[in-house]
Amino acid sequence: MFSKSQIQIGETVAVLFVFFILIIIGFIFYVKVIKSNLEVEKDEISQIRSISIAQRVMFLPELQCSDDIVKEVSDCIDRLKIHAAQDIMKENEIYYYDLFGFSEVTIAQIYPENKKWAVYSRKTEDFKNKFVTNVPVSIYHPMTRKYGFGVLTIETLS
Amino acid sequence: MEILGLAIVIVLIFVAIIFVVRLGFEKPSNIRASFVSSQLASNMLNAFLRTSARDDCFQLTMTELLQDCAQGKAIKCNNGDDSCKYANSTAKEIFEKTFDKWNTNYEFLAYTDIARPLIGLGETCKADKKSELFPIPISSQTMYVKLDVCG
Repeated sequence: MFSKSQIQIGETVAVLFVFFILIIIGFIFYVKVIKSNLEVEKDEISQIRSISIAQRVMFLPELQCSDDIVKEVSDCIDRLKIHAAQDIMKENEIYYYDLFGFSEVTIAQIYPENKKWAVYSRKTEDFKNKFVTNVPVSIYHPMTRKYGFGVLTIETLS
Repeated sequence: MEILGLAIVIVLIFVAIIFVVRLGFEKPSNIRASFVSSQLASNMLNAFLRTSARDDCFQLTMTELLQDCAQGKAIKCNNGDDSCKYANSTAKEIFEKTFDKWNTNYEFLAYTDIARPLIGLGETCKADKKSELFPIPISSQTMYVKLDVCG
């Protein structure tokens, strides 16, 4: 037979056991919450990064139309600048990698006729998120002074 | 007495769990989607109105065609279309290659009187939308071009 004090020690041990189990469950739960919040924050940072890359491309002087050489026209890409920009981006890969990171920038004219240009491309196999941003733009032909309709596609990998 | 203590502990645990579930888990934000749809409406209208027609309609801009459309359709394009029909078919072609391809719902309207639009494409948005309205001056009044991007 157990003595009274032995039973009390047993009770205390059982209570402590339950107490520690509860603490462990609470800790696991807390870690899960923190982990999930970190994922959300990480995703948010990737989204902000993708927006900032899209903004950089949209206002890139290497592509943007200019009015009388000085004033830049928004939402517009100069068709004659595209080929020059492609060459410049290939020659200065590191500089543009700092600006655009792992991404792919293409310009497609869809009206009056279909045409497509790949402006920048640097890919990686190691990515978790892929964001595609389509920006409608005008494509200006300086020789004819006419505007076509195009889509600037920025694909960012992070 | 011990039972009461246990009950209090359980109640406290429940309160803590409810508190963590409600405040702890952050909802995944969608900053990008909101940025993209607000940019989309204004860029699309800007670029569309600036677009020049093909050679069969004297390479006039969509703005010029819409102005003529609201002012008596004096322009006849070489393919037989008047300015309203030409602007309408161009808008349709562009939106098919963009909004329809991206599965984005939209409503495009060009009007002087909203009850009787000169051009109407797409469908009215049922829930959230980003709207862009461009006024275009014409001789007697002002015409408006409106684009709603749903979502």
